Amino acid sequence: MAGYILKRLVSAIPVLLGISIIVFLIMAMIPGDPATAILGSYATPENVEKLNRDLGLDKPLVQRYFIWLGNMLQGDFGRSFSLNRPVIDEVLERFNGTLILAGTSFVICSLLGVAAGVVSAARQYGLADKLITFVVLLGISIPSFFLGMMMILIFAVNLKWFPVSGMWPIYGARDFAALVSHLTLPALALATVATGVIARLSRSAMLEVLRQDFIRTARAKGVRERGVIWRHALRAAMVSIIPVLGIQAGFVLSGAVYIEIVFQWPGVGRMLVDAILTRDILLVQGGVVFVAACYVMFNIAVDVAQSLLDPRIKT
Amino acid sequence: MSFLRLLARNRLALAGLIVMVCVVVLALITPLLPLADPNVTNTADRFQRPFTEGAALGTDHLGRDLLSRLLHGTRLSLAVGFAAAVIAATLGAAIGIVAGFYGGRTDNIIMRGVDMLMAFPYILLALAIVAALGPGLLNALIAVAAVNIPFFARNIRGVTVGIVHKEFVDAARLSGMSDLRIIVTEVLPNVIPVIVIAMSTTVGWMILETAGLSFLGLGSQPPVADLGSMLGEARSALITNPHTSVVPGTMILIIVMAINLLGDGVRDALDPRLKSGALNRPMPTTLVDRKGPVPQPKEGGALLSIDGLKTEFHVKDRVYKAVGGVTLSVRPGECLGLIGESGSGKSVTALSVMGLVASPPGVITGGAVHFEGQDLVGAPYAHLRKMRGDRVAYIFQDPLATLHPLYTVGDQLIEAVQSHHATPKSEARAHAIDLLKSVRIPNAEKRIDSYPHEMSGGMRQRVGIAMALANDPDVIIADEPTTALDVTVQAQILSLLDDLRRERGLAIVFITHDFGVVAQLCDRVAVMYAGRIVEEGPTDAILNAPSHPYTSRLMACVPELGGGRRELAAIPGLPPVVDRLPEGCAFADRCHKAQEACRRGEIELVDNGPSRTVRCIAPEPVTEAAQ
Repeated sequence: MAGYILKRLVSAIPVLLGISIIVFLIMAMIPGDPATAILGSYATPENVEKLNRDLGLDKPLVQRYFIWLGNMLQGDFGRSFSLNRPVIDEVLERFNGTLILAGTSFVICSLLGVAAGVVSAARQYGLADKLITFVVLLGISIPSFFLGMMMILIFAVNLKWFPVSGMWPIYGARDFAALVSHLTLPALALATVATGVIARLSRSAMLEVLRQDFIRTARAKGVRERGVIWRHALRAAMVSIIPVLGIQAGFVLSGAVYIEIVFQWPGVGRMLVDAILTRDILLVQGGVVFVAACYVMFNIAVDVAQSLLDPRIKT
Repeated sequence: MSFLRLLARNRLALAGLIVMVCVVVLALITPLLPLADPNVTNTADRFQRPFTEGAALGTDHLGRDLLSRLLHGTRLSLAVGFAAAVIAATLGAAIGIVAGFYGGRTDNIIMRGVDMLMAFPYILLALAIVAALGPGLLNALIAVAAVNIPFFARNIRGVTVGIVHKEFVDAARLSGMSDLRIIVTEVLPNVIPVIVIAMSTTVGWMILETAGLSFLGLGSQPPVADLGSMLGEARSALITNPHTSVVPGTMILIIVMAINLLGDGVRDALDPRLKSGALNRPMPTTLVDRKGPVPQPKEGGALLSIDGLKTEFHVKDRVYKAVGGVTLSVRPGECLGLIGESGSGKSVTALSVMGLVASPPGVITGGAVHFEGQDLVGAPYAHLRKMRGDRVAYIFQDPLATLHPLYTVGDQLIEAVQSHHATPKSEARAHAIDLLKSVRIPNAEKRIDSYPHEMSGGMRQRVGIAMALANDPDVIIADEPTTALDVTVQAQILSLLDDLRRERGLAIVFITHDFGVVAQLCDRVAVMYAGRIVEEGPTDAILNAPSHPYTSRLMACVPELGGGRRELAAIPGLPPVVDRLPEGCAFADRCHKAQEACRRGEIELVDNGPSRTVRCIAPEPVTEAAQ
């Protein structure tokens, strides 16, 4: 198993390099002169030239990439000019918030989505199936930012069950209960679409598996229907559900940007949007590379989970 | 066109289509409608509620008419979403076709790049692109299109790879057509349906994503607004004036939902598996819709007796009569062979006993299955479940598919025991090891922790037998358990089954198409054809002197070892399709002795010598010598 993990980690290196190249190239597409973009159109030519030199922009593209990459590998993502602090400090601090939000949402959508899919498949064409199918359709069609706004309106403003926004109360203790009450609405809003997608895929994966011969064997053995569904069918269906969970994790992680804006949640997504609007290129660059790298690592974890679940995968 | 008809049959997809057509028509005629200018501000009339005079949906924070802004915004959102979909589909398909068509190094490099792009969380990449290009609706469109290109490229490449190796492409190559021409005339027409499906399932996403970027303030810039930026602008007034948020938000919901419904409909209509209803999951027991009375067992003393059993498959409006009134019985310790060609209904007969015929589409429509005098057809699920594996156990063909691939054989054996007897795990495990030993699996203590894929076919079949023996059943129904095995292993398994029968007094129903197996193992044999028993009797008697023409023709098909270069007689023709059974004898069309009377009326199973029956009006004579 350790060997397999190592192998997957090594295979991630070219992907990570590719990601850094893509981000670098996208940022290099910026029309016009980045220094002018940063300093504004009233900047003096001397200042523009100085900044270009400071940012290393006077060097050829390839050389610039390797300087950037080398610095990143040493933990130096550059300095955010709008916040006047190292990019990595800001990203790490903000990523914490995103991780709490997206992590919770991911747990919710995985559990709820798979459960809904299993129940739906087991009761195909029954009332539960129709109800779940309808809710799922609604869930995958509603924009998460609109859903979030409606949740604020209903559950925070009208019913006053949860706070309107933020991660912590402005006054009062920053304890677990406070976090949970602040987290509930945004986590649910963020999980909704992914829950729907996972439920749909789980349903069809289950239907596919339930037709297999080994399910008939389980029934012929006299296994109770609950065992047939949850132990036999779901276990086999998980093999095709887990990769979907991995993909949805990406949607949850990056979809957090909308929810962070709607709920004023201090996370990477909101930081990125602010950075884009203030043209803080280094902050965008650093944030995107960091989150994408984390996602690659997460996908390795998904692969490892898959290999633990399926003994047929050679480790 | 059948595709459109299928789509129309799906009511939800039709609803989606109608909504979508309305929205698109509304968006197209928006400039012609008598609406207020969407961008004229009138702060005196700000935040008017819906249904007020002169503003049907109210006004926003700058006093602009919401209805007018909504329709113009919808127009913009749809245009941008569709444009992004078309761009992504075109470029993605082009990349995918090139990669799939040329293969090799080109394919490798392109797909690596695509994999890299797909390694990004989707929205993050769009944000990076917008960050580089700067906020703006056109840039948001480019970003959304760009992040969707890999999805199309990968899908289309897969389809192209499948097409490139087809004969018609080879033929085009040999005829000297240029690559470009082959792509345009041979490949493209075949991938277009896939492109359409992929587009129909993603255009909703793209509308949502561009709306999202606009919502973040990175898409359309004021005063022009698409649905997303309307929602974004309304956010600050969410609590005081929710209607300004609800109006555009609901519109996005309606559009995306209609597209999703339509996309699902398109996919379902194009997916052939759904047409045949194959994606139905089988229920825990076979459906029973018994017409007519419950027959009583013909003879006493039988442990298991099947009486006039009828099992049908109802697919759409067709009825396949897989089992058309079968009567069979086994006594304790007896082995009954059930023989016939593929599709003759022998497996369905066997599965009907414990209600294991997949349903839908299977339905038991008549007859009875008595076990120890008690009818099992239509018995409650809980009762059947208790009998399954405990009193009546099955051994299936092809144990690679019939054993669960992700559990060790030990776990599967232990489960078989624990499903019927509350046994501690350690005890059940010891029992499982004993079972593996009893089916002569060497090194059972170690083998118990193997997964099915780690075993050979013969070993897996032994596991299947061990599982059937787990609860010491009274009857074992073995459905071609040796068909997938080579001859030596087959002989071992057969002698194993025979020993077990003698040791434990098991009754065995052995389904096969192999007369050799029947001769070796079975006391009696029943021959099935097109869902009915055509001949039944003691094995020796039937093998020595078959009296139904089908039996004798079937036996003539068996090559005999050392029998010289005898010509093997294949039976001419094919078995009848069981949804259109001919009147009279189903074998008449293939029978050399067929007469006029064979095709008229019901032909009964009649006595034909001591404990023999045959369903034929002109059976071969049974001589005394053959008895």
